Amino acid sequence: MRVLEVRDLTVRLGGETLLDDVTFTVDRATILAVVGPNGAGKTTLFKALLGLVPYTGHVAWAPGARVVYVPQRFTVPAAMPLTVTEFFLLASPRFWLPDRQFVAHLTHELDLLGLPPHVLDRPVGVLSSGQLQRLLVSWALLEHPDVVLFDEPTASVDAGFGQTVYAIMRRICRERGATVLLISHDLNVVSTCADRVLCLNRRLLCTGPPAETLTPAALERLFGPVGVHGHAAGAGHAADRG
Amino acid sequence: MLLTGADAVPAAGTLAQQLAIAAAVGASSGAIGAFVVLKRMALVGDALSHVALPGIALALAYGLDPLWGIVVSLLLAAGLVWWLQDQTGLPVDALVGLLFTASLAVGILLIPDAEILESLFGAFPALSAPELAITLGSALAALGVTFAFARRFLLRVLSEDLARVAGAGRGYDLLLLVVFCGVVALGIKLVGTLLMGALTIIPASIARNVAGGMRAYMMGSAACGAAVAVAGTALAAWWSLRPGPTIILLGVVVFVFSLPFAARAGK
Repeated sequence: MRVLEVRDLTVRLGGETLLDDVTFTVDRATILAVVGPNGAGKTTLFKALLGLVPYTGHVAWAPGARVVYVPQRFTVPAAMPLTVTEFFLLASPRFWLPDRQFVAHLTHELDLLGLPPHVLDRPVGVLSSGQLQRLLVSWALLEHPDVVLFDEPTASVDAGFGQTVYAIMRRICRERGATVLLISHDLNVVSTCADRVLCLNRRLLCTGPPAETLTPAALERLFGPVGVHGHAAGAGHAADRG
Repeated sequence: MLLTGADAVPAAGTLAQQLAIAAAVGASSGAIGAFVVLKRMALVGDALSHVALPGIALALAYGLDPLWGIVVSLLLAAGLVWWLQDQTGLPVDALVGLLFTASLAVGILLIPDAEILESLFGAFPALSAPELAITLGSALAALGVTFAFARRFLLRVLSEDLARVAGAGRGYDLLLLVVFCGVVALGIKLVGTLLMGALTIIPASIARNVAGGMRAYMMGSAACGAAVAVAGTALAAWWSLRPGPTIILLGVVVFVFSLPFAARAGK
């Protein structure tokens, strides 16, 4: 069953064409990885899919699909009066009157992502960037969404947590039938984790299963002859403004 | 000039009426002020309240109740700020500063001398029963809307992208601005145009020093707004002072006493 259909998607901002005539579809319960060099328009693609930037063309989600987004960068000022529990409650309509089950459920969700239960009472602003990223992933998955858009989910966390996030992605995909769209610079992860890959450099260059699509020739076309080495060395660390 | 003595204070409603208005307007100022401080719009309240002055002047010129001039001018200002922000991408405070500080000068020139002090520093006029009901009802409605939409307002403070994905679009910025203007319009009667900005930010600043979480911060800010406004009004009546400056000074004193809590929490 199809969960997303994109046709002739073009994004122009400030006179520059960031995405040019991109067309693809995504089936339910698959993991689609978006790869490409810095400035290729990967984050812009996510923002267009979410309606956060103006675009031309056609973007259609399956009716009623609940879509959540884990952005690449998320910071909270240290003095923000907001506890971790309250941050989770922002995802629930019962902000003022949470039930006990909800709070018990939070402890379980935090445990899955390696956060101790005592952080629930701490202000969000004092968490480290790695803890905040874990919290954001946990927050996004809390209400069992149909589709999750992860923009470099492991950019500011240690390798161990990276493995946890990819394991969670596979689990929500296989067990809950969720669809995952993932931006990643780590081609090893993409090869082992994704069902399909979408090579993007402003235009859609190739798409298909990773083993068949990420050939040396395709990578050279996507990143250039120097870029292949650059990305292999800097996997997971490169800042992406796309 | 120290404004003391019965001559300096215009004819006012009964003390019970004054205290009821102070409680309702103080609570709604504190509640919306919680977001005004988080969104770094503290000075917007000052500028917005100055926008009321030309409105007051026009209402007086046409023989209308100044409140209508205040409400219309503030709502127009809120819509204009919201629209210009979308068009230019400039921060709200820059736009408000650019467009509306001149309103103070225009208002001062247009308002008759006899009404200037009341406009600038506030007064409790004697209200008829329907007027009192409208004032209290509007203040409580603003309080209710602020708490009801707190989750979405807060999402927009944290991240524009996350908020929009969660269904809290830019319309909630406009709603917050409209509630803010409504509260400023009500508060101008209480503390005057010069001091109204302070009535929205002082309770929130006190609550932020003391509270650890968002729910405690918001409830604390609303409660603090009500308590400071009621106590200030009572003290002003007791000592025959103008209520506006008395309320604001009392708030500043409470803020000073709240500072050690912030230092202890390492904020």
